Amino acid sequence: MLFIVRMSLRELRASWRRLLFFFLCVAVGVGAIVTLRSIIQSLRYGLMSEARSLIASDVIVQTNRGWTPPVRGRVDAILATAPVLARSESIETPTMVRAEQGSTVARMVELRGVEPTFPFYGTLTLANGARYSHRVLEGRGALVGPELLVQLGVAVGDRLLIGGQPFTIRGVIEKEPGRRIGAFSFGARVLVDLADLRTTGLLGFGSRASYQLLLKVDEGGVEPLARQLRDGLRDDFVSTRSFRALEGDIGEDLQRAENYLSLVGFVIVVLGGIGVWSVTRVFVRQKIKSVAILKCLGATTSQVLAIYVAQVTSLGLAGSLVGVVLAWLAIRSIPASVVASFGASVYGLTASAVVQGVAVGLLVSLLFALVPLLEVRRVKPLLLLRGGLFPVAGPRAFRIDWLQAATTVVVAASLLVLASWQAGSFRAGGLVTGGFAAIAVVLYAVAWGFVRATGPLTRARWFPLRHAVLRLRRPGNQTRVILLSVGIGCFFVLAVRALQENLIAEAVIDVREGAADLFVIDIQADQTSGVSELLTRAGEGNAPARLVPTLRARVTAVRGRDVNLEGFSDVRGRGSLAREYTVTYRAGLAENEEIIGGQAWPETPLSAEGPQEVSIEQSIHERFRINVGDTMRFDVAGRPLEARVVSVRRVRWEDSRSGGFMFVFRPGALARAPHTFVAFVRGPADATARARLQYDLVSRYPNITAIDARDILARIRAVVDNVVLAISIVGGIALASGVLILIGAVAMTRFERVYEAAILRTLGANTRLLAAMIALEYSALGTIAGAVGAVGALGLTWAVATYLLDIVWRPAPGLLALGIVLTATLVAGVGVAASVDVLRKKPLGALRAE
Amino acid sequence: MIELRGVSKIVPSGNGTLTILHPTDLTIPEGRVVTIVGASGSGKSTLLGLIAGLDAPSSGRIVIDGVEITSLSEDALAQLRGSRIGFVFQSFHLLPSLTAFENVLVPIEIAGGANPASRARALLGEVGLADRAHHYPSQLSGGEQQRVAIARALANDPPIVLADEPTGNLDSATGRQVIELLLEIHRARRTTLVVVTHDPEIAAIAETTIRLKDGKVVDAAVASAG
Repeated sequence: MLFIVRMSLRELRASWRRLLFFFLCVAVGVGAIVTLRSIIQSLRYGLMSEARSLIASDVIVQTNRGWTPPVRGRVDAILATAPVLARSESIETPTMVRAEQGSTVARMVELRGVEPTFPFYGTLTLANGARYSHRVLEGRGALVGPELLVQLGVAVGDRLLIGGQPFTIRGVIEKEPGRRIGAFSFGARVLVDLADLRTTGLLGFGSRASYQLLLKVDEGGVEPLARQLRDGLRDDFVSTRSFRALEGDIGEDLQRAENYLSLVGFVIVVLGGIGVWSVTRVFVRQKIKSVAILKCLGATTSQVLAIYVAQVTSLGLAGSLVGVVLAWLAIRSIPASVVASFGASVYGLTASAVVQGVAVGLLVSLLFALVPLLEVRRVKPLLLLRGGLFPVAGPRAFRIDWLQAATTVVVAASLLVLASWQAGSFRAGGLVTGGFAAIAVVLYAVAWGFVRATGPLTRARWFPLRHAVLRLRRPGNQTRVILLSVGIGCFFVLAVRALQENLIAEAVIDVREGAADLFVIDIQADQTSGVSELLTRAGEGNAPARLVPTLRARVTAVRGRDVNLEGFSDVRGRGSLAREYTVTYRAGLAENEEIIGGQAWPETPLSAEGPQEVSIEQSIHERFRINVGDTMRFDVAGRPLEARVVSVRRVRWEDSRSGGFMFVFRPGALARAPHTFVAFVRGPADATARARLQYDLVSRYPNITAIDARDILARIRAVVDNVVLAISIVGGIALASGVLILIGAVAMTRFERVYEAAILRTLGANTRLLAAMIALEYSALGTIAGAVGAVGALGLTWAVATYLLDIVWRPAPGLLALGIVLTATLVAGVGVAASVDVLRKKPLGALRAE
Repeated sequence: MIELRGVSKIVPSGNGTLTILHPTDLTIPEGRVVTIVGASGSGKSTLLGLIAGLDAPSSGRIVIDGVEITSLSEDALAQLRGSRIGFVFQSFHLLPSLTAFENVLVPIEIAGGANPASRARALLGEVGLADRAHHYPSQLSGGEQQRVAIARALANDPPIVLADEPTGNLDSATGRQVIELLLEIHRARRTTLVVVTHDPEIAAIAETTIRLKDGKVVDAAVASAG
């Protein structure tokens, strides 16, 4: 044992430089895993420890239908038997506000009315360090988010009009429990007294308010009460959450995020692993003589194997530890404000992330090195008596080596387990491992085909070409290894970049020419003509504004079977059928619709009493297998409504002029149900005229809300920009790994090429000729690797876009072509650059050394 | 004692076979100096490789100090070499990543011998390289490398030392020094020394000379062709 340790250390002294690149690849991957896991774990810890302040209570009960007396009665009955220490009511609603004097701008805000007991947990901090007390809200006081002051050009002390009523700004909110800086919202927060909010008339029919009941409960009673509320109010469209369930949800969500992101790190480590595999193969070939000498001196095969396994393990461990240092540096370089905006106040390397990263780095190094290392078993000491050192892969290599085959199977299974462990899901782990295996098989097959296809070129008349091809085909060539490592690196980078392009193209839906960019919602029936007139006058080209009736409805049954609405998370988990939909009714199709199944209905309305008819959107038909002829039951504003599906529509969502609806009813019963209207209009292009229009709308009709699509898009763009940045960083890391593998692969074969170059020089070859041979050899390899990587990336982006992200697939041919050219150039460049000393070396020295 | 009974070596060649060594009977008593001579391709190195257990014979038995090595596994052969046979190669075959001292140390460590460091130092002193102990093979001359190889061959004090053309890569003066060193060691330790060579001068130093021609023993005082 002592001998093995000493021998490995001695060998390492000489070999670590040659193996450096590959273990740097491992380091980069481990660094990615440790960084991502550490940050998300810090985030999870931070958010979970604040779960109570996120909902400002122990249990929160909410509905968007208002507390009707029967529901109220049921809630009170349940609360009467529970250890409730305190209760507080709150209402949240989006609405428009404007300054009472001065500016002519109206802005959408997220208005919340609270009672004196708010919040039970967490602290509301005001600007200048002032502490919140409910007294500042009394007598129509308001606290506002800092951005609103800028948007409306107002200051503390000024008055705002909310729902047409004046409120005085008494302070600026710096931090509110349950609301994170940087999180997406439709507008600035405005906090007012609940009683004042009720007087504004903003809670009339059709409003989008959410009614909340915050409960402070004795510790042991939290879960039983939440369960009781959930069970007792199952059919009342009331959702109940406890801070414990929230902890669980945050924990689960972030755990999932952590695992999936760590999978990216794992993929990078595996790329490094491929490097380790390729370097070990070459390394073993270069060490044949040493192995033979050791065996000649009495070392057993297992001793020799142990020496090399110990070397790989040491380097894998060193690479992983370097990765931890990289992660530490990466985390330190992230500004505290960025992490804080996501909810983590304290962050740094976490022990569990470090352990996982190092374990993955070590295991991947070892697993990938094991199969090539087994070759040392075949080395016979006899070769020391023979002049030439024949390579391990001679004609005997075609015999099946059962131990090697069994080890390969064990290694593949271990990688599957490792990937599943990292992803926290056997399916995701299997997909990643399977994907890797598939692309590896394809690349290997392509490499084989490529080597065969170049056969005729071995008779080419141009010397550099002939010899470049011969090098690709010589025994023990690196063709397959370079194709595999560079091909997979290229595949990964291109796939990430192509996905990024797809995502950006999907997310940055700009406001198209002529498309609606202003959505006016919550228009009451008696306001339609006034609003319509105002919009038509202000709209571009004075096109008449169209008002569309809307109602809110839930699907409660399909083909007579109940759609379960048990709990918030259940609904979310099951897809979107049970959520609340905004529906409309009309006689015909909108411009952005076409019927793809069933038939259009006649223009005549149906009788309100008889059976109703509904047209469903394509995705509802596909996702929930609802077909023409099926009967669906809806809950529309608390009343049940049955309708037969008569057609399936395709909606061109990108054309927003007419909006888009999942369910469109034939005019009939719905026309009689109470409903509001929305308007989709093309607002004035001029910013002042736009602001003026919103201001006029809000001044005249305080209850309605105008959503400026340009504003929302700017917010979405900011979020997307962050996502793009994150994806680019990951892609960059993968690219760096690919380049490292390439440099390593070229450097490893340096020794052979130095010798070959020396012989060619002796025979009269000049530097230009040698450089041309090397450049040709590597650019051919780069082109093939790039092409295979590009085709793989094309397939992956198609699959991910179509099946996972559900977005329109864009093949990005320009990017892929550029990828192939860049890969070829890069491989050729690295090949020549890494061979500079081969070209410069005096032939005699190289020949003597050999 | 080294005994070969009916030992032959036949290898596949093209569509047929090639006999490198015809069935041979040979006995080399303990403590002798034996040289094996013959033209290139006559089977000298093959014979030496078979005695060292570096290769398996196609037929026959090889017995080293009462142990029949033809039936031993690869690992058992390695252990036998480690403890009973020292081997010196024409191309030295030192481990390039190890210093001279470490090269000598390796076989002692493999065999688990006592005081490896002091033994290795003593052996380097014996071959006159005490001051070059921490040089790498690439920093030593051919003669020095061969002397390190001899020290390494003696590391576990083996009763048998086999040398395959030990002077083949050296100039004649250095070659003579190396042969002198091998003979000195033989005299001091009473080792059985078997040297493959085609240098008649070196062949002359032996108590017994085995001549090989086309894979057959044609002349040997202690041998009889089978």
